[in-house]
Formats: sequence, structure tokens, C-alpha cells
Amino acid sequence: MIFREVEDRDLISRARRGDVEGYNLLVSRWEKRVYNYLLRLVGDREDALDLAQEVFLKAYQNLGRLEDAGRFAPWLFRIAHNEAFSMLRRRRPESEAGAEQPQQTLSYRLYPVEMNLAVDRALNSLPAEQREAVILKIYQGFKFEEMAEALDCPVSTVKSRLYAALDRLKELLAPVRSPGGPTAAGE
Amino acid sequence: MSCARFDLKGYLLGELEQPERAGIEAHLAACAACREELERLRLTQAALLTLREEEIPKRIAFVSDPVIRPPWWRAWLAPGPRWGFASALVLALAILAHGWLQPAPPAPPPALDTAALEQRISAELERRLQAAVRNAAAEAEARHQARLREAVAALRQELDFQRKADLLTVEENFNVLKKRMNVLQIHLAANLEGVAR
Repeated sequence: MIFREVEDRDLISRARRGDVEGYNLLVSRWEKRVYNYLLRLVGDREDALDLAQEVFLKAYQNLGRLEDAGRFAPWLFRIAHNEAFSMLRRRRPESEAGAEQPQQTLSYRLYPVEMNLAVDRALNSLPAEQREAVILKIYQGFKFEEMAEALDCPVSTVKSRLYAALDRLKELLAPVRSPGGPTAAGE
Repeated sequence: MSCARFDLKGYLLGELEQPERAGIEAHLAACAACREELERLRLTQAALLTLREEEIPKRIAFVSDPVIRPPWWRAWLAPGPRWGFASALVLALAILAHGWLQPAPPAPPPALDTAALEQRISAELERRLQAAVRNAAAEAEARHQARLREAVAALRQELDFQRKADLLTVEENFNVLKKRMNVLQIHLAANLEGVAR
């Protein structure tokens, strides 16, 4: 991770001097992570790809404003967060449609494909902010402080969103075992 | 229902410092409800992690326009067509200046009489060829004479040797004959004495 930061720092420095190829290398290192973050947040591949392109273009245009090159990842995901929520607001201005859908808990042994569908459904049942917290923590491996930086909010807010999301997901994906009943979540 | 004062989620996610972790671990050893809660959280995390990252369907379009403009002096010094054109221009000017400043060339040499030159070359070749032939013939003749002299000398030596051998043979035969004549004379003399007596 340290080596990655060092190399990112070098690529950012090159890009700031106008070296487009240096920035292209930086994009190639981060595009998959950003794309998957956006995909899980907005739930559509085409939208996620469009947003990812927009994110990297804005990052390039604003690279001069990045004060600490060592904080590139939270800074980049903050741009991605802003882009994604702009789209979500345009798409669902009133409320989170997914959150209103009733969800079934997992009460039977699942095959991998079914498990993926169940997890996907469970994630999409969360409000976007909670879903985003899960994505950044579970899938992207951010620390609470980095999440707070990316989301531009206090750590306490990050924890609150994440813990609420985990409680909800726990009910859906790992329900309490009933005596003599079926097992949970792919066991 | 777990004990609310213990941050099991922070514990699971690796966000707690060591003292807090140790406190939770001690509590878990004694609290079945918190152990079950932690187990459910682990199952939830494991279920979430079954979703794999997807490959990006298309690489992000790389930026080709320099949005962040480099300083003018860096752009001016950057390698590119500008320096290529400048180099070509300098080279062209150098060629023109060289042609302009060069002194007039010397008068061309008189036209060459190729027929006369060819005749001279033929005569010279002929002369050299004849000399070479003469030399070769003389050397061959000399070698032939030398070999002939050697052969004559060898033959003469052989004849002389043969003549000496023949003389020795004749001399030996004469001696043998002479001895036989002596023996005959002795026998004859003896016979004559016997007759006389």
C-alpha cells in the first residue's frame, strides 16, 4: 500500500506537470475500483461507466487543487460520491425506491448465483448513503477517517450509517436461527 | 440481544485499538448473546464478500488534451514537431549559405583523348606480354639445359663405372687363365720328364 501511494504520488506529480500519459497510468490503477464503487451504488453498468469517465475527467481538471497527494484515494472517491449522488438525485428525487421494497430474509441454503442475487437485493434495499458506507468499508477497505474524508462528513456519521446498514443486512442475510429450522446465508 | 456498550461491529471491521479489542474478547468469552451477534455479523460480512468485483467493460477514455497547461517555457522546450521543423530550417539555411559563400570552382580539365589512351595501353600491354613470354621461355630453356646436363653427367658416371667393372672382370678372367696355363705347363713338363726317362 505504501509502494502504491509512492507511485501514485509520482504519477500525480507527472500529471500536474502536464504529462497526460502519467495521468493515464494513474487512471488505469484506479478505474476498476471506482467503477465497482459506482456500479454497486447506482446499480447500472452503463451509468457506472459514464460516471467513472466523468469522475476521472473532473479529477484531472482539479488535480491542481489536491493539496496532499497521499490523500488521493479519499479525494478521488469524494468526486465519485458527488457524481453518483447527483445521478441518484436526478433519477429518484423523492425517495429511495429500493428501500421501500419488502425484502425476504434468507432462510434456505443458497447456490453462489442465488447468493449473489440475494446480496445484491439486500444492498439495493438500503438507502443510498448506507449502501455507500457498506461499499466503501466492506468492498473498498477504507478506514473510517478516509470514509469521512471522501463523504465530507464526521466519522460519527459514517459509523452511524454503516452500523445501521449492517444491522439491516444482518436481518436479511443472517437471520436468527429458529430452533430446528433452516440455516442462514449459505451455510 | 447483545450488550450495547461493546462495539462488536467496530471489532469485526478492525477499527478498534488494542485495549478495546482485549476488553471485547474478554467479554465474548463470558457472553453467549454477544458471541451469537458477532457470528451473525461475520456471516453477513461473508455473504457480502461473495459479490466479486467486475472488470470494467471499457477502459476509461484517456485524456488527450492538456487540461492542465504546462508553463510556456516547458511547452516550448518539449520535444515535438516544432523542434523537427526548426532543425530542418537550420539545415536548409546552412546548405544555402554554404552554396552561396563557396569560391568559384577551378576550370575543368581538358577533354580526354580516349582513343590515344587506349592505343597506349594496348601497346604497353603488348610489350609487357612479350617480355613475360620471353622470360618464361628463357627460364624454361635454362631449366631444360640444366636437366640435360645432369642426365649426361649421370650417364657418363654410370658408363665409367661399368667400364671399370668390365676391366676388373677381364683382369680376373686373365689371371684365372694364366693360372691354368701355368698348371698345364707344369703337367706338360712333368709328362715330358717321364717320357725322357
